[in-house]
Amino acid sequence: MKMKKTDIGVCLAMYAVCAFFLNMTLKLPKAAQIYPLCVIALLAGLTTLHVFNMVIAAIKSGIESGLDDFKDFVPSQFFILFAMIVIYLALMPYLGFYIASVLFMTASLIFLRVKLWQAILSEIVIIALVYCAFTLFLEVRLPAGSLFY
Amino acid sequence: MLETLSLMGNGFINALYPVNILAMIAGVTIGIVIGCLPGLSAAMGVALLLPMTFSMEASTGMIMLGAIYCGAIFGGSISAILIHTPGTPASAATAIEGYQMTLKGQAGKALGTACIASFFGGLLSCISLYFFAPVLGQLAMKFGSPEYFWLSIFGLTIIAGVSSKSMVKGLMSGALGLLLSTIGMDPMQGVKRFMFGQSSLYEGINVTCALIGLFSMSQALVLAEAKIKQRAKAAKFNDKMLLTKSELKELAPTIGRSWIIGNLIGILPGAGASIACFMGYNTARQFSKHKELFGHGSYEGVAGSEAANNAVTGGSLIPMLTLGIPGESVTAVLMGGLIIQGLTPGPNLFIGETAKMTYTFFAGFVLIQFFMLGIGLLGCRGFAHIARLSDAILIPSVTILCVVGSFAIHQNFVDVVIMLIFGVIGWLARKFGLNNAAIVLALILGPIGEKGLRRSLLLSGGDPKILFSTPVCWVLIVLCVLGVLSPILMDKMAGKAIEEEQ
Repeated sequence: MKMKKTDIGVCLAMYAVCAFFLNMTLKLPKAAQIYPLCVIALLAGLTTLHVFNMVIAAIKSGIESGLDDFKDFVPSQFFILFAMIVIYLALMPYLGFYIASVLFMTASLIFLRVKLWQAILSEIVIIALVYCAFTLFLEVRLPAGSLFY
Repeated sequence: MLETLSLMGNGFINALYPVNILAMIAGVTIGIVIGCLPGLSAAMGVALLLPMTFSMEASTGMIMLGAIYCGAIFGGSISAILIHTPGTPASAATAIEGYQMTLKGQAGKALGTACIASFFGGLLSCISLYFFAPVLGQLAMKFGSPEYFWLSIFGLTIIAGVSSKSMVKGLMSGALGLLLSTIGMDPMQGVKRFMFGQSSLYEGINVTCALIGLFSMSQALVLAEAKIKQRAKAAKFNDKMLLTKSELKELAPTIGRSWIIGNLIGILPGAGASIACFMGYNTARQFSKHKELFGHGSYEGVAGSEAANNAVTGGSLIPMLTLGIPGESVTAVLMGGLIIQGLTPGPNLFIGETAKMTYTFFAGFVLIQFFMLGIGLLGCRGFAHIARLSDAILIPSVTILCVVGSFAIHQNFVDVVIMLIFGVIGWLARKFGLNNAAIVLALILGPIGEKGLRRSLLLSGGDPKILFSTPVCWVLIVLCVLGVLSPILMDKMAGKAIEEEQ
């Protein structure tokens, strides 16, 4: 099996997580440090083992990009949809759950070019489902929106 | 013995309450819908609907989650047979023979076979649930802190087993989950650890939020990354779904063999329905009197695969309910459901009042299979249309359900943010070959292991010999070693099954 270039990023990310938690652990009282330090050492040790495996794979079989899982990736679609999710969550405390959800669903369905009747029907179904299950049945007080209350 | 029989009887009486029947019907229907939608998995469905069980009685909630699980495993076969796309990985082998039958104009017979085989596979798997679970539960009652420490280590070594490609990456995912499980109050010192000023993290990361993020939100992100494609039109069918007496007689040995295979694979931590379906299919071919039909639409092949994947369901519940060790992602999510209800998976589930809940769930699990058969046979035509639902509609719908589900836990917006963070972690983990199930298992087992270790050391005045002091400790140590070695065995089993299929 060839070494994947993307695994370099995975290992760097793991080391960064270890460093981040190590920094915070050292600020804890001595007795509370032991267990987190053991876990950090475990993660760092396993990451180092993976680096070792990667080097062996590179020497034996060569290197590949490791981007196979991204071959169908459409960056513009993904990042726009992700931005919509973030904006949806950011607006929810101000607009309330239902208005924010209707806006998010409308925007994303228009962006994904869903037929109008399908978009309207799916919005009605989802909002009705949430209302019946969470507001009526579970009596969850969903965010009402600070702009209105 | 008499007490157990009485618990079993009462379990059936309780499971037949109207509210439980409603939960079964709703759960099976939702499960089949989720299962037949390619791209959505059983774990994702159970995680997404977990918050809806909060206000229910523990037994009703668990029955509903169990119904979603069974329904989703069966539902995958509908799209596998009609549009040649397995709804879940557990139906991959069903697609081989099922779609060939559809091309021959026998789609109804294929669906009927899948439905009946799933019913018997699931029903027979309940036998092992009834017989093995209480025995293992009694054994686990003898466990003290050192044993619980080794039990959690055993659970964590299973992480290596659930890792699909690289064992080291699976263990890395587990270690990452362990690190995340340290967030919150230190259980012995009472010190705040890594809480980033958020009082809602006092009890650690909410496992349900993490589950919804890792399994459901990450799936919405996976769907969002690829170009939206039109799904193939589901084939229309007019042939009969019900099998004749002679056909049922012919299928009986296949279903029996697949039940044993599926059940054993279910009990084995780390293995799952996706391996069982191929093994059931191959065994059906090996023993078939009509080997020439395989690859050209054999209903024995459909039965072998479907009976095996549904037989996994009952078996996979055993280690989770008795030892508190979820062997794969769906049972990890189900364990989250138990924890939400304030119940600790393990031997306590078989004592006193809690035992009533457990046996009601067991009885419910038996009845679920009957509802699956009925709803499956009656609703196949309708579910076939749902299988074509576009990803463009699923992406915002799943996102909204994730948001409302995570908010409903504590009615707290921080939980929604945590869910989104775990959604991104889950998506990255999938893209870079890490393992979401391993992260979840570590999040659940981390606190158990930490408490076991630190309590043991406290009891012994810091002497680590206590961890090796009983025979049970040594048995668990051996199991840990086997747990690490299991992926090699699983790889060989899966490789052999796929090789034989080709």
